[in-house]
Amino acid sequence: MSYTARLKRLTSDVDLDTVRELKVPIGIALVAFLLRPVLGSELVLGTPHIATTILIWMLFAAAFNLLFGYVGLLSFGHAIFLGTGVYVTAIGLSEFGLPFSLMTVVAMVCSGAIAYGICRIIVRYGEIYFAMLTLAFAMGVHFIVNSNPYGLTGGSDGLRSGTTPEWIGSFRGQRVIDVPWFADLLGAFGLQPSYYYFVAVVFVVAMVLLWQLIRSPFGQTLVAIRDNAELARAMGISVNRYKVWAFTISGAFSALAGALLMLSNYGAAIENFSPETSAEVLLMTIFGGANFFFGPLVGAFSWFGVQEFLQSFEVLGLPVVGAIELSGVLGYWRFFFGFAFVVVILLSPRNGVWGYVRNGVQNGIDALRQRGSDD
Amino acid sequence: MATSTLRRLGAGSRSTSAVGVVIASALLFLLTFAVFPDLFVQNLIGGVAYGMVLAIIALGLALILGLLGVVNFAHGGLFMLGAYGAYEIVVTQGLSFWVALVVVPIAVGVLGVTMEVSVLRRLYGKNPVIGLLATFGVFLMIEEATRARWGGTPLTFEIPTVLQGAIPLGVGQIATIRLLTVVVAAFIIVGIYSLMYRTDFGLTIRAGLQDREMAEFIGINIPMRFTIVFFLGSAIAGLAGVLRGAETGMDLSLGFEFVLLAFVIVIIGGVGSIFGSVVSGLLVGVSVFILPVTARALATVTGVDALNVAGIGGVVPYIVMLVVLLVRPRGLFGEEGLLE
Repeated sequence: MSYTARLKRLTSDVDLDTVRELKVPIGIALVAFLLRPVLGSELVLGTPHIATTILIWMLFAAAFNLLFGYVGLLSFGHAIFLGTGVYVTAIGLSEFGLPFSLMTVVAMVCSGAIAYGICRIIVRYGEIYFAMLTLAFAMGVHFIVNSNPYGLTGGSDGLRSGTTPEWIGSFRGQRVIDVPWFADLLGAFGLQPSYYYFVAVVFVVAMVLLWQLIRSPFGQTLVAIRDNAELARAMGISVNRYKVWAFTISGAFSALAGALLMLSNYGAAIENFSPETSAEVLLMTIFGGANFFFGPLVGAFSWFGVQEFLQSFEVLGLPVVGAIELSGVLGYWRFFFGFAFVVVILLSPRNGVWGYVRNGVQNGIDALRQRGSDD
Repeated sequence: MATSTLRRLGAGSRSTSAVGVVIASALLFLLTFAVFPDLFVQNLIGGVAYGMVLAIIALGLALILGLLGVVNFAHGGLFMLGAYGAYEIVVTQGLSFWVALVVVPIAVGVLGVTMEVSVLRRLYGKNPVIGLLATFGVFLMIEEATRARWGGTPLTFEIPTVLQGAIPLGVGQIATIRLLTVVVAAFIIVGIYSLMYRTDFGLTIRAGLQDREMAEFIGINIPMRFTIVFFLGSAIAGLAGVLRGAETGMDLSLGFEFVLLAFVIVIIGGVGSIFGSVVSGLLVGVSVFILPVTARALATVTGVDALNVAGIGGVVPYIVMLVVLLVRPRGLFGEEGLLE
């Protein structure tokens, strides 16, 4: 029996078209709820604690990619928006004792407003100029936060105390969500109400929103602008207005990631605003593949996964040579990441790692189909 | 001709605002000088010395950007390698600083050529953003290799006794190492200018820039010339690194900090204009040293303490860039259509 026929029999109960249509939300949900169990298993890494960080950075990278991947705008200053999310929620919680949910909304609005203002000023500049100007704004914001205006931001010390809302408790050394209905909801799936699943739920909601946005006429207009701005303008699309709104939305979603990062890091640190943060999100996104919705997710996963994997990897056993002590070399994992990054850029700059995986799977399926029809 | 140029300059709100910005900065300069004359002169000297280092780093970057069309982020890495290379020669090998001043730029230049041949050759003529990203990866590798070899702690090395101390200049004084920096940088700038505009070699490079196909038709080996230009750009970065490392020491943030500054300076000077970056390098260097004094002067004159912002020096280059680009969207001497 051919492979396709076997596949068809296996999936005859499921409506395949529905699956195909919803493959992105399903993929997002799978990523969110399988990441920690997979990373936590001894076979892979045995380190479940980085899963939360990875999810947050995935969201940040996806928000960044709304700009780079779908409009073609390169921002060197995205740390502004992550940092705004981190600091606005941290200040709201520690200084004014306001609820986290309210402060998240405030942070997203603030960040969106900042993004709108910045982009309105610089939207007419060309690619490299645009990138450098976002960097200039990022340096300015970094400076302002570092100088501790009105004693709000804590300067280079950041904000540490009073930044954990009271509904996050601690249970056997793990952070748990102390909300009955949330615990009941997760209990129905047989899961612990740990902090990770709170992040996972927010992640899924935000990512599905982003996906819907990209599917909407708005998102398709952005793609049109990326592919041919002249043509888009000729067709009556106000290119700059769309760019400004894309920048605003990207800023707001980055602030959401920032709010979650604030909870994860137990407060705000000046590093959240540093140009290195902007550079890291750029690296992740491109490495994963800016052309695809899942590219930035793969990129963020690789960045942290490679870091964790190479650092825990100490001795390489080779059949002929014997065991090689590698822990000294692999501590410098950024070197290898940089190398892989250069290779990815040289081979195909917009497809990234995820593009290769996708192509490989597609070719495999095609080959199977081919054999199926030959039988 | 002259009147029409003048009329063009005077026309439009953008030129008016340009004139306004120039007048405002001149007034601020005068005010600073009037309030703190000694401090002003001291900072002006320091600013010129710093500006010369910035100018040659940016010159190397602008050469590569203007001629090859590649936004070379690894430039900062090469600059950092220059500083660490000098440390290696002076401290680890125990050789003289003068040896480092000659050997390190050549070694860094060779490394730059390796990078050009292995990575950048594949990127000519493509979107400049791709070149920027690829060289960013190279930068990451250089930074991490430096950390592996020399560690993350800040390092300094001893400079020859001739260069220690300061030389009086009538008004104020200048540290000898800074004077050396200024002299070497001036030599580099004049040398590159002569090479580009006074020799046949420079002529063929500029010809290749204007019309690569035609230049190759008449027998000019363009890839070879590009490699030489890349060697020069990298070697200048290495030399600047040696001088900077001798003056202030080095740590791992050096590369990132200075490549951002160099970009800012190239953008202010105008992409495509090689010597615009020299002017803007000096402008930024002087501004970084003078503007904090100006802020203090303003605070003294007006009595508003809030104007005296502490530690504003770090953001000054970005403020200058913002102001220049808002008034002149292509930088001071930028050409139309490049990187847009």
